[in-house]
Amino acid sequence: MTMSRTVQIAVREIKVGFRNPWAYTFLALFALFALMLLLINSQSVVKGYSGLTGTLLNLILYLLPLMTLMLGSFSLTGDKEDGSWELLSVYPLSTVSYMAGKFIGQAAVLLSMIAFGYGLAGTAGWAAGNGFDPSAFRLLAGFSFSLAMLYLAAAMLVGTLARNRWQALTIAVAVWFFTIIAWPPLLIAVLGMLPYLWIKPAVSVLTLLNPAEISRLFAIVKLGGGSVLGPEYYDWVKWIREPSGTIGYIAVSLLWIFGASGLSVYLWERGRKHA
Amino acid sequence: MPEPFVQMQHVGKTIKGQEIIRDFHINIREGEVIALCGGNGAGKSTILRMMAGIIHPSRGEITVGGFQWKTNRRRYAELIGYMPDDYRFSAGLTAKETLLFWAKLRGAPASRVDEALAEVGLEQTGAKPVASFSKGMRQRILFAQAMISRPRLLLMDEPTNGLDPYWMDTFVKLVRQAADQGQTVLFSTHQLQVAEALADRVVFLRGGAVQLEGSGEEIRSRLGAAGLAEAFGEWYAGGGNSE
Repeated sequence: MTMSRTVQIAVREIKVGFRNPWAYTFLALFALFALMLLLINSQSVVKGYSGLTGTLLNLILYLLPLMTLMLGSFSLTGDKEDGSWELLSVYPLSTVSYMAGKFIGQAAVLLSMIAFGYGLAGTAGWAAGNGFDPSAFRLLAGFSFSLAMLYLAAAMLVGTLARNRWQALTIAVAVWFFTIIAWPPLLIAVLGMLPYLWIKPAVSVLTLLNPAEISRLFAIVKLGGGSVLGPEYYDWVKWIREPSGTIGYIAVSLLWIFGASGLSVYLWERGRKHA
Repeated sequence: MPEPFVQMQHVGKTIKGQEIIRDFHINIREGEVIALCGGNGAGKSTILRMMAGIIHPSRGEITVGGFQWKTNRRRYAELIGYMPDDYRFSAGLTAKETLLFWAKLRGAPASRVDEALAEVGLEQTGAKPVASFSKGMRQRILFAQAMISRPRLLLMDEPTNGLDPYWMDTFVKLVRQAADQGQTVLFSTHQLQVAEALADRVVFLRGGAVQLEGSGEEIRSRLGAAGLAEAFGEWYAGGGNSE
């Protein structure tokens, strides 16, 4: 029955998600974005790591996390504002079922949007005879999927902490800004204050805290651009290059997703008990 | 004498240092209909929300059918149907889809959805987006939602707000019918003619405490009024005390 209630929440989330004008605005934006990647790719085929691939990765990093943070956190704060959560809390529905259902439903909507965007770009490229290199295409798509899932978990946390959509928007933009835009200068500033021997372990810890950075490192190394990262990342590069690197990345991502989701459930449940 | 189905014992609720409910005490028999009346801010909604398990008492205990929210949340929730005062429906879902979602969460059969829509006179509008409904129609959907699993305890916050006279009448009949079938009902209202027509017991609240309690007739005769509305007016104008 618990599983069935999770499915019910997820199904409603998918229905509401696909009938939400916001979702279509983001879908159009992402489709346009994917076509733009194709256009950039047509200048010279994206194969392996280059300045062009780096630009593509950065463009994905700018758009997708912000989109995910907004859609995911608004879904939870919308329930709070509309009275939907208040009513659901009278139902025999556990916090875990509710949050898991929301995550699964939102994930389905987001992954469909990303798949549509890449599908469109892939088909258009194939039709024009100037498509992506298949391995680079797979890596960009995989990078986008995993980034969306990681930021969806963060969005669940933002939606749990925020009381309403405005608060969610503010926190979502802050999370996006600090993890994507301000991360490199912040990292340099923080590392510059540490003793030399602390730098490598500090880089590892800080990288694990930032889902965008974990995904970016993985994609760069897999594209063969590990040397651009600098000596502080030598262990990371070595680790990701190994055959177990992909499994390790998936494990770290899952740990991140379950960690953030677990914290959201804990905080939501605490709020429920102390209401 | 059987144990009361609902027991609220010495319940108090303090929010941000302000005492909203003071030593509230009530026992409700199975099948009994209770109306909570009082001015704005008297604490009616807070009592209903505490009983529904949305918020929790700062002091005292609430037991429904032998279960408490804090010790057996799932069984407690299975006994309760709740109709909120304020609810904004999700855009994009039809009335039938919305009700089906609630029915499945309650474990009620899908056939119950058509039945519930027919009970509230919305069988013809089931395929329309519920967000486009008028206030009265939304109230009827919310009532259908609360009744979807025929809960043993029905809690309703201002259920007749926005209903036209015909549906107010029908609502009274439906609730009376539910009570006759053994469902226990607790509702808040400002419409004292509804309280008079429906409730076995009326509770007048002020400042989060019970000031006056009894059947409609007892309250009328106590205050020497012809109707409950008049009794309430006199009681309220007199400072809202039991004396």
